[in-house]
Amino acid sequence: MATIEQTPSTTPPEPEGTQGLPAPTPHFGGEEPGHGQGTGITNGKLAMWLFLASDCLFFGAFIAAYLLYRGRHLNGLTPRDVFNIPFTSATSFILLMSSLTMVLALAAIQRGDYRRLKIWLMATALFGATFISGQVYEFTEFSRRGLKVDTNLFGSTFFVLTGFHGAHVTLGIIWLLSLWGLAAQGRLTQRDAERVEIAGLYWHFVDIVWIVIFTVVYLVPQPGK
Amino acid sequence: MATTETPGTELERAAAQVPAHATEPAPGLLPGEVRPHPSPFKYVMIAVILVVVTAVEVATSYLEGDIPDGLIVTLLLGMAIIKFSLVVAWYMHLKTDLPIFRRFFILGLVAAITLYAAVIGSLHGFGN
Repeated sequence: MATIEQTPSTTPPEPEGTQGLPAPTPHFGGEEPGHGQGTGITNGKLAMWLFLASDCLFFGAFIAAYLLYRGRHLNGLTPRDVFNIPFTSATSFILLMSSLTMVLALAAIQRGDYRRLKIWLMATALFGATFISGQVYEFTEFSRRGLKVDTNLFGSTFFVLTGFHGAHVTLGIIWLLSLWGLAAQGRLTQRDAERVEIAGLYWHFVDIVWIVIFTVVYLVPQPGK
Repeated sequence: MATTETPGTELERAAAQVPAHATEPAPGLLPGEVRPHPSPFKYVMIAVILVVVTAVEVATSYLEGDIPDGLIVTLLLGMAIIKFSLVVAWYMHLKTDLPIFRRFFILGLVAAITLYAAVIGSLHGFGN
């Protein structure tokens, strides 16, 4: 009968419950030891991509609801009555530009250029705040003219869709400002570039969602002209 | 017959077979990156394309009544797809990162489009 002899080990004993598990891979990207993956992908980045994939379904539901009820409202104001395309085009342009400043912030931290990192992070947050200000103005104007969330199907689906998008942008602004605060204190270094990249993924996602909303909600010809 | 086995040896051998580039990023690259990110100049060029396409999109929407609505919708959706793809490929780095990110994102996107196309289709489309 074969017997198994264990050779003396010079490594420290494994914590209880972890015997036989793979040794942690070397960590990078500012992650704690043991949080890396053997695939070369960090948990933070993978989690963000999975979140974005699920957020596609989240926004898909609201876009689908908007399309489903499009042109079916029986009373109240219609998109044609309230939309101001030049104004919304300007705010869309601002959000697009914020994606540019976001990638420039990432390029800056990868180079170790902390001065430009702070400039681009703040510029991105300000562009985002400008976009949100435009949305608040638009909502206020629509409300003043008589279109509210409970006015008709258009009001309900429009405010819910664009409102949730605005909430995502607001969260992104808070995230960017917190990164800027860390950078200002010198606590965001080249080693933490992945943190900026993950925030950037979120920010670009809200940008691509707006690309779809701007086209589908604002630009596509309205039915029943 | 006595067999000598060190605990964890098999796992260590398996780990050693994983190429170094699969577990650690190359110098100057972020985790999950296969090729370096684009230069700031390229980022600016992509932004210029995005702005031009947006301007054309807005101009196209003003052609309502002059050309068929179906053509306007096709053009607008085509331009939106171009903008969407540019941001995802270059700004979100799916073009330079490991393919697994692209697969995850496409999975979510395709799931959303399929699910809601089925919902809209089953409820007789929109505008009817």
